[in-house]
Amino acid sequence: MSFLRVLCCSTVLLAGCTLLESNPNQTWAPPTAQHLTAQNLQRLRAHPKSPTDTVRFVFVGDSQRFYDETEDFVRSVNQQPGIDFVLVGGDISDFGLTRELRWVHRRLSGLRAPYLTVIGNHDQVGNGRAAYQQVYGPLNYSFRYGGTKFVCVDTNGRESGFRGRVPDVPWLRRELADTAGVRRTVVVSHVPPTDSDFDPQLIPAYTAAIGSSPQVVLHLAAHIHRYTAEQPYHDGVPYLTTYHMGKRRYLVLSVWGAGQFNLQTVSYGPAA
Amino acid sequence: MAPLRSAVPWPLARGVSHRWACLLPLAVAAVLLAAPAQAQSSDPANDAAQPATQPAAPNTPRPTDGAFFLTVHIAGGTGAVAVGGGYWLARRRLEPELLLGIVPKKLGGKTLGVVTLKTTYTPYAPQLGASRWQANPLSFGGLASYTFGPGLNSSRATKYPKGYYWWSSALRFGAVLGARLTHEGGAGWPQRSSYYAELGTNDLYLVSKITNRSLRLSEILTLGLGVKGGGK
Repeated sequence: MSFLRVLCCSTVLLAGCTLLESNPNQTWAPPTAQHLTAQNLQRLRAHPKSPTDTVRFVFVGDSQRFYDETEDFVRSVNQQPGIDFVLVGGDISDFGLTRELRWVHRRLSGLRAPYLTVIGNHDQVGNGRAAYQQVYGPLNYSFRYGGTKFVCVDTNGRESGFRGRVPDVPWLRRELADTAGVRRTVVVSHVPPTDSDFDPQLIPAYTAAIGSSPQVVLHLAAHIHRYTAEQPYHDGVPYLTTYHMGKRRYLVLSVWGAGQFNLQTVSYGPAA
Repeated sequence: MAPLRSAVPWPLARGVSHRWACLLPLAVAAVLLAAPAQAQSSDPANDAAQPATQPAAPNTPRPTDGAFFLTVHIAGGTGAVAVGGGYWLARRRLEPELLLGIVPKKLGGKTLGVVTLKTTYTPYAPQLGASRWQANPLSFGGLASYTFGPGLNSSRATKYPKGYYWWSSALRFGAVLGARLTHEGGAGWPQRSSYYAELGTNDLYLVSKITNRSLRLSEILTLGLGVKGGGK
């Protein structure tokens, strides 16, 4: 009885705390919706892979204000066999508000696989950068899974006023140079260097760092809301952009060997 | 991202025809501001107290006269805590007020200040038995709030082409719906005090809800609690 009472009280209290919002721009989130990058990496590491195993993941972008589609996306991805994790290429929110990140998280937490994110320009609007840090974690981070290293980098240069600091190229160089035990590297960002929202003064240094790193298999980005695949810098590195959530399409990518990859597009409809 | 978005202009670019729906809170506020005039002219007691041929005696307060009140408000988007006050109008049914709120660093990442203009309308005030308490089962209102903080108010014009982001991060419009208990006839100050709770939302949450059927009403609501005290 007393246990039930405590449970009821804490549920009401937590619901109250969540409803008691000091401001839409606040960064506070309940503990279960904090440090999600670290939480999801922990889930990923619970299923370790050997360096020779193929890594298979879903890549989609721009979930911003597409909550209906996000629910259908989760339903579709959960039917895909052998997905190691899901990667969301930024613009998780539309207005850079904490509550939007939590709306998205509530839906994506229904995925059977863990999901990871990279920050988009919409996630940095207003107080959004601090909200992202609270809910997800660092703006630049990397992780290894099997023999593959994923380098997730903030490339929202326009949001930082094109001041030559975003993306953090020295950080990227260090991450690309740290290849102990790494067979292949995938760079993940929101704004591709081919877009006008990428800091123009950093394009040469950024693309040279990637082009001169023999481990890099792919450069992935979102932001432009459509699928593209090209080698714009003629350095052997394919630059891919993915669909936005509203398109009801996503990519399934597999990487293996010294630099092989496979790409599939999946379309899904609304729930019946 | 913008290039695609800006091709389909602003908020409800998701194929919903209610493109002005996010102005709903403003419309609510406008109706509320118009309400006192109606309330006064249609009130028989008020008309009787002021025959057209006989102006009210000076220094004799009419029943419709208001009084100043002070407010302490918690959450509801206008700051973790906000203090302010206003003036009771339309037989204390209408409460325009100004609130100054603060969001501490712990909740906001950085300290934020919030200035809010709010108007609440409370149409019914049945007495609870013979007591001095009234139950007000319904209050509703509209508000506009401006949040001050690093990065919130800085002009986007220097970074973005015009219209890249159609909304302001600092200026919010909201609507609230609540209930309250009011005590009247206190010996000292406050002679009249109200304790209230209200559910609310804002323009951006509303735009998100209108464009997404799967977004639940409970997901876009906020809760605000407060107390108002003032002269009779």
